[in-house]
Amino acid sequence: MEISEILNDHTIKTNMDAQSKDEALNELANLLLENEYITDVKSFMKDIYAREEEGQTGIGNYIAIPHGKSNFVKEIGVAIGINKSEIPWESLDGNGVKGIILFAVGNDNEGAQNHLKLLSLFARKLGNDEVIEKLLQSEKTEDVKKAFCN
Amino acid sequence: MKIVGVAACTVGIAHTYIAQEKMENAGKKAGHEIAIETQGTIGTENELSSQQIQEADIVILAADVKIAGRERFEGKRIIQVPTDVAVKSPNKLIKKAEEVLKQKQAQ
Repeated sequence: MEISEILNDHTIKTNMDAQSKDEALNELANLLLENEYITDVKSFMKDIYAREEEGQTGIGNYIAIPHGKSNFVKEIGVAIGINKSEIPWESLDGNGVKGIILFAVGNDNEGAQNHLKLLSLFARKLGNDEVIEKLLQSEKTEDVKKAFCN
Repeated sequence: MKIVGVAACTVGIAHTYIAQEKMENAGKKAGHEIAIETQGTIGTENELSSQQIQEADIVILAADVKIAGRERFEGKRIIQVPTDVAVKSPNKLIKKAEEVLKQKQAQ
């Protein structure tokens, strides 16, 4: 089982130029829509924001992990954005964020054990400082994948 | 020392695993033996064995929800924190565990 299986070149965006949290989330959610992970951006975003209300998703080190379960998710996946500049975000260390990892997970995960497992392995990597450092320095899609898979 | 613990967050797809990784890395870095069970959307993984629990000097519960099988830790010294604490300050958390154990031994 390889973490790379959960990553998709088309849902990774480096040199992103979002100015706000909302802009970043919208951009990444649209990537998820275009690549058929979700069925509706507006409804999906509503579920993501519901989780945002519950507590900070900025985990420190300029990384945010917006997530939430949504009925508008067709397939488990992630969209990753590396933003050019720091954007304001509620975070554990009070800093803004540059790396945004948007998780797409449905409410009904029957038959999705394999994907859930991959996602948990992926999430675990976000707890590793070396991975985060490489991720934030990523200039290209390939760099993002390397950050997670080495 | 030997540390066991459980990580569990509300949604069960992100913080749980980040907390696990951070605690395990911080524990190992400080020279301890550490094993963290995760209770997430996928279910329980890295489940602690009764031997691991029995041998543990201290238990760290990083949880935002009620964890399953808490009775397994009855009689043990337990530190309970939200997952955010484990994610934000894993080294401090391990240090706290060391201090709690020291106090226990001094008693």
